[in-house]
Amino acid sequence: MTKREEILVDGNHKLFDKNGMFYKEFPSDYRQVRFFSMLIVQKAPAEIRDINLLEQQVSELIKNAIRHGNKKDPEKKIRIWASFSKTCAHLIVEDEGEGFKEVDRWNDFNKKRNECFLTQNFDDLEKYFCFKTDHSTEEDGGNALFASLEYWDGGVVLNESRNAFAVYKSFSGKKRPGIDISGSQM
Amino acid sequence: MEIGFRKYRHIYIVDVKGDMDLYNAHELKNVVNRLIDKRISNIIINLEKVDYIDSSGIGALIHIFTSIKRNGYNLRISNVHGSVAKVIKLTKLMGYFPIVDEVKTALQQLS
Repeated sequence: MTKREEILVDGNHKLFDKNGMFYKEFPSDYRQVRFFSMLIVQKAPAEIRDINLLEQQVSELIKNAIRHGNKKDPEKKIRIWASFSKTCAHLIVEDEGEGFKEVDRWNDFNKKRNECFLTQNFDDLEKYFCFKTDHSTEEDGGNALFASLEYWDGGVVLNESRNAFAVYKSFSGKKRPGIDISGSQM
Repeated sequence: MEIGFRKYRHIYIVDVKGDMDLYNAHELKNVVNRLIDKRISNIIINLEKVDYIDSSGIGALIHIFTSIKRNGYNLRISNVHGSVAKVIKLTKLMGYFPIVDEVKTALQQLS
């Protein structure tokens, strides 16, 4: 398995180093997911916004935190740390929920999904289009994390409580300068 | 998101305009479900004027395509471009969805 084919669980991962990142917190207002995303992404240089793909991917993280993490509870907040440059985007999105307890099942699900692509087994692939949990509803696409893992090529990592995602994207073909991501079980 | 219809012989063209996101992706799903209920067997979803899609939008396309296939009907998705194409690529579903370059091509294939 290549490095980015699964979500790691490692609260000590370098991607959880918040040094130099700006901070914002938002209420769990599902109606404002894209507005919050735009507030974050507006701080990114135009060079890395790539039409609106960065905003779309940040939006998925925020949506996940509000909907699945905080269960849209208005009393709960989401916290975001971010840093952007012309060559990278680094985010940590934390909610106040119980955590993504099913990450192992998700990784196994994704592995089987990838095997279907490798073997061009489109009949079985249909079983792996959408990852559902007991809390999933019709409005859940169930596919956001597949795209996240592809987009955030420097890693998608959960903390030990599994209520915070740290992600990293390189826009220069290089991993984050000064941080050896490969040394952290990736 | 705005949804319009055109009909060419036995083929329905669904023109989508605006964002396909968490707030409105279900609308397209409902519209196509109604077409399926009316036994419309050839449907083109034209995404020429869609510049943004998220996982809810992708989920809607998956639902639509699997429903249409289950009924033995035909779907084409046309004019996928920009970040919409990039998001579909990220989900690795570019080769799975019946995507064609433009409506004209879809009409030729379904005629």
